[in-house]
Amino acid sequence: MLKCRDVPAEAEALLDGELGLGRRAALRLHLFMCGNCRRYLSNLRQLMVAVPHMHGDASDQEVDQVLKHLHDHLHEHSH
Amino acid sequence: MTDLPNDASELALLRSGDDAAFARLVRAHHRALLALARPIVGESEAAEVVQTAWIKAHGALKDFEGRAALRTWLSRIVINEARMMLRQRKREVFLEDLQPSGADPLAERFVSNGHWGAPPANWHADSPDSLLTREELADCLAALLDSLPANQRALLELRDSDGVPFDEVCNMLGISASNARVLLHRARARLFALVDHFEETGEC
Repeated sequence: MLKCRDVPAEAEALLDGELGLGRRAALRLHLFMCGNCRRYLSNLRQLMVAVPHMHGDASDQEVDQVLKHLHDHLHEHSH
Repeated sequence: MTDLPNDASELALLRSGDDAAFARLVRAHHRALLALARPIVGESEAAEVVQTAWIKAHGALKDFEGRAALRTWLSRIVINEARMMLRQRKREVFLEDLQPSGADPLAERFVSNGHWGAPPANWHADSPDSLLTREELADCLAALLDSLPANQRALLELRDSDGVPFDEVCNMLGISASNARVLLHRARARLFALVDHFEETGEC
């Protein structure tokens, strides 16, 4: 029987697509009975969606610096 | 942040060498690529690695087939450049100490019978995209990422931020799948705890 303590690892395996049928059924049964773990999984899902965005956009200055180096490089190699 | 899906029109512009589309690409991904390079080559050399990666990416975009997300494709270029820089500097170890160490950050939230002692809070972010980009969290998030061991940070960036497949991440970093799972869990648990504490107390 799955304990709450086991849920974080199982929830990550679920979101990583690595949970087989049996473990998925055990997790689903536990979640059916446990509101705290349902909330944990829902929060973890949100977190995983948020991570790719966590560094935000580069500033104008950063973008300009990259483009300047690029143009200098292209100019150098066009001669 | 700017949402740049691999949509056909944006890709066509990028492949045709459109300057404005390339600038949008840089804006959307530059900071994430710097964050990926940092744990691998160090703060002082990350900018140079990423700059070289942008030059390579600019030259290779016309051949980009769209089989991977642009971020994943860009991350692979950064990792290649990082490897080349380490080789030039004769630094052989790609990442030091790949063994997980210390306790699981979530372990203390459970009581002895295995139930939650400190259950997760209700999270209230307007959207998942904005969950980690709220101004109040910025300094704490930066401090947390800086405090993660380099191997945990590289894993979090490659797998969860850049979408590189798990097996490929293990190969890139020369790490076993079982170690990688533990390290990734530690990094995710630290991030989870940061947001959870903020949601509960309004502070971080």
